[in-house]
Amino acid sequence: MSLIKIKNLSFTYANAEEPAIKNINLTIDKGEFVLLTGPSGCGKTTLCRCLNGLIPHFFTGEMQGDVIIDGLNTREHPVYKLAQKVGLVFQDPENQLVSLNVEKELAFAPENLGLPREEIRKRVEEALQLLKIEHLRYKAPYELSGGEQQRVAIASVLTLKPKILVLDEPTSNLDPKGAEQVLKTIKVLNEKLNVTIILIEHRLDLILPYTTRVILMDQGEIVLDSSPEKAFCSNIPEKIGVDVPVSVKLYNELSKTGVKFNKVPLCAKDAAKLLAEVLK
Amino acid sequence: MIEVINVWFTYPNGTIALRGISLRIRDGESVAIMGENGAGKTTLVKHFNGLLKPEKGVVLVDGINTKETSVAKLARKVGLVFQNSDHQLFSTTVEDEVKFALKNLGFSSEEIKERVDWVLKFLDLERYRERSPLSLSGGERKRVALASVLCVKPKILILDEPTIGQDARQKRKLGELLKKYQEEKNTVIVVTHDVEFASKYFNRIVVMARGKIIADGPPNKVLTNPTILEESSLSPPQVTVLSREIAKKINNFPKDIVLFGELLNEIIARIRR
Amino acid sequence: MSYTMFSAFEFKRKDTYIHKLDPRTKMFMTIVFMTVALLFTTIIPLLITFIITLIPILLAKSVEEWLNSLKGTTILLVFILVINSFIRDLNFALAMILRLIVLITAFSAFFLTTHPDDLAQALIQMKVPFDFAFALSMATRYVPTLAREAQTIMDAQMSRGLELQKGGLTQKIRNLIPLIIPLIVNSVRRALSIAESLESRAFGAIKKRTYLYQLKLKKNDFIFIIFLTLYLLLMIYIKIYSPLASWMEWKFPL
Repeated sequence: MSLIKIKNLSFTYANAEEPAIKNINLTIDKGEFVLLTGPSGCGKTTLCRCLNGLIPHFFTGEMQGDVIIDGLNTREHPVYKLAQKVGLVFQDPENQLVSLNVEKELAFAPENLGLPREEIRKRVEEALQLLKIEHLRYKAPYELSGGEQQRVAIASVLTLKPKILVLDEPTSNLDPKGAEQVLKTIKVLNEKLNVTIILIEHRLDLILPYTTRVILMDQGEIVLDSSPEKAFCSNIPEKIGVDVPVSVKLYNELSKTGVKFNKVPLCAKDAAKLLAEVLK
Repeated sequence: MIEVINVWFTYPNGTIALRGISLRIRDGESVAIMGENGAGKTTLVKHFNGLLKPEKGVVLVDGINTKETSVAKLARKVGLVFQNSDHQLFSTTVEDEVKFALKNLGFSSEEIKERVDWVLKFLDLERYRERSPLSLSGGERKRVALASVLCVKPKILILDEPTIGQDARQKRKLGELLKKYQEEKNTVIVVTHDVEFASKYFNRIVVMARGKIIADGPPNKVLTNPTILEESSLSPPQVTVLSREIAKKINNFPKDIVLFGELLNEIIARIRR
Repeated sequence: MSYTMFSAFEFKRKDTYIHKLDPRTKMFMTIVFMTVALLFTTIIPLLITFIITLIPILLAKSVEEWLNSLKGTTILLVFILVINSFIRDLNFALAMILRLIVLITAFSAFFLTTHPDDLAQALIQMKVPFDFAFALSMATRYVPTLAREAQTIMDAQMSRGLELQKGGLTQKIRNLIPLIIPLIVNSVRRALSIAESLESRAFGAIKKRTYLYQLKLKKNDFIFIIFLTLYLLLMIYIKIYSPLASWMEWKFPL
């Protein structure tokens, strides 16, 4: 059975005239690493909010269709139930870190569930170790760098033990080194815990080698859903205004001049290797 | 011209943000100031329009010492657009928002009209003239915030992190607009982490780390230098990453290309050889 | 930066005997010091009270921070001094100043050494509802953020030629609009965004929440509480039963 199943989903925010997303049909399986991208205002964030029930429970409006998460219909289950399946991480760490101490931040969610103290302790320690942030245990948010803050934000939803992690532009406020740290962390979670990842991200070059699937959205609809190779070789990214990663761009441009690699490179290393073969 | 001579600055909480900065930016330059968070970039540009005054050293804008004038007086020469547009917008219509600075600076009503028309056209905002800035999308709000400063036609335009939250198309549009404005003999300065944006649209890169300038030069010299990048927590542009990888495999391939067009030409030339 | 005035009473992490005490012990300490200060109205006893109140500040190695918080209240102190010396006399005015300094010192001894999260936890264990304690700790968490935001807004509008000091009174009030509106808009946006993230972390899932930390009074707390109680009782005894020695009633000869 698919972990996420979305059927004919449309949503219009209260006070809005146009639907933010329309006719979304999507199934995602365990362990997938999905890159979700598209121009601003294309409905990515709205789709994320549908996955843990913030829509329709927190944001009001008109929702059509169904979202089934690990067998639970989001219409029928409250956010705190769904939050144990889907962890949501947002763009601005400042608005996610509400405690003045990392350990407490991590304990916040399981405390809300009323779990026994030993269990909370266990989950906090696991998350601290997994994200390699044990040394930050007693620090306040303002004592952390942007990359550290965002890793704490990820850890703070991991203590709910979600099977799915949805990250809405987690690196856009960070400097390049911070972004790299966060993206590496996400990769580790996918590989080690087999957590399903849905990532909204503009820094495609760094993340593309890890992704198993690319979904492109434009004007509230899914316009492409395929492997990363196929997605960026098509003309759709160009058409909707999404940048193509440099290594794929090179492949595309060289193809136009008649030079074909025998596969599509997703990172610089692969591109260099393929180019060396051609030049030999 | 901006001249910064041995400037030091300490915040009241004791953080030393600038440690002896000297820098000269001539008229008509396009400069990207880069470095990790906390390196002192924003503190430095706040000295350019007098929001902060140096604790030691001097900042001269067209020969005027910023210590001896007011922010409002400098605002005719130096425009500073802040990172978060929501920190600026407050008016009921886009037109009023743009008029705010012009009124403050005492322009005549004909001049105000002329400049509002010009800036709304320049930034492609005419259709939003009567709309409330707060009802616009994030990208559009950012453009209104830019308009609200650009309307003064400052000789020196400074933008703090203009690409955060912008998608690829918006970034391209912004880059081209800034280039166009610079070509009209104005100085454009950005503070940014975005190496791709900086390498594409700016001729000079100033890199800061821990309150000092550690590098200053054209993108293909600065953003390809591993030591500088390491020290300032920056990553090289993706095109440079690719050119380095290729150079590992292919003899004599240049390691320091920053623009995609150049990289492609180099490769095609080698394939044809 | 304008938030230096907030940082005066802000918690600073240090490893001292006082920092390690239970927040409830320190709450008791503050109440005792305040009560004693209110018992006396003459200079010498208040001076003695002041010296005793200073002990926890010294033990907490927070003299510099304490001086900062005093500095923040200088205007208030001068104001009280002037008013009181006009309506009563200088001796009374000085006593009142001393009393106020003791109160401020007692407060800073608490806030400078107590982590806001620990304060919230203490309140919860004192049966204050979680929502209330949480709101309090969120407020302390976001005060510096808000102050920084206010400063940025001011910088942004000044860069567009806004001059706050310009014009008459009505103009000056109108000058505040470009500051207040963005501040409100941003606070609302931030609040919504925080709410969204709290909701996504199962906030309010069940009525009976659990807690990772549990505050427990330790041996040191009990020792401290005993000392404080003895001190309070002694002072009350002196106030009620034993007339003050004549040197305690000393005044500036005016």
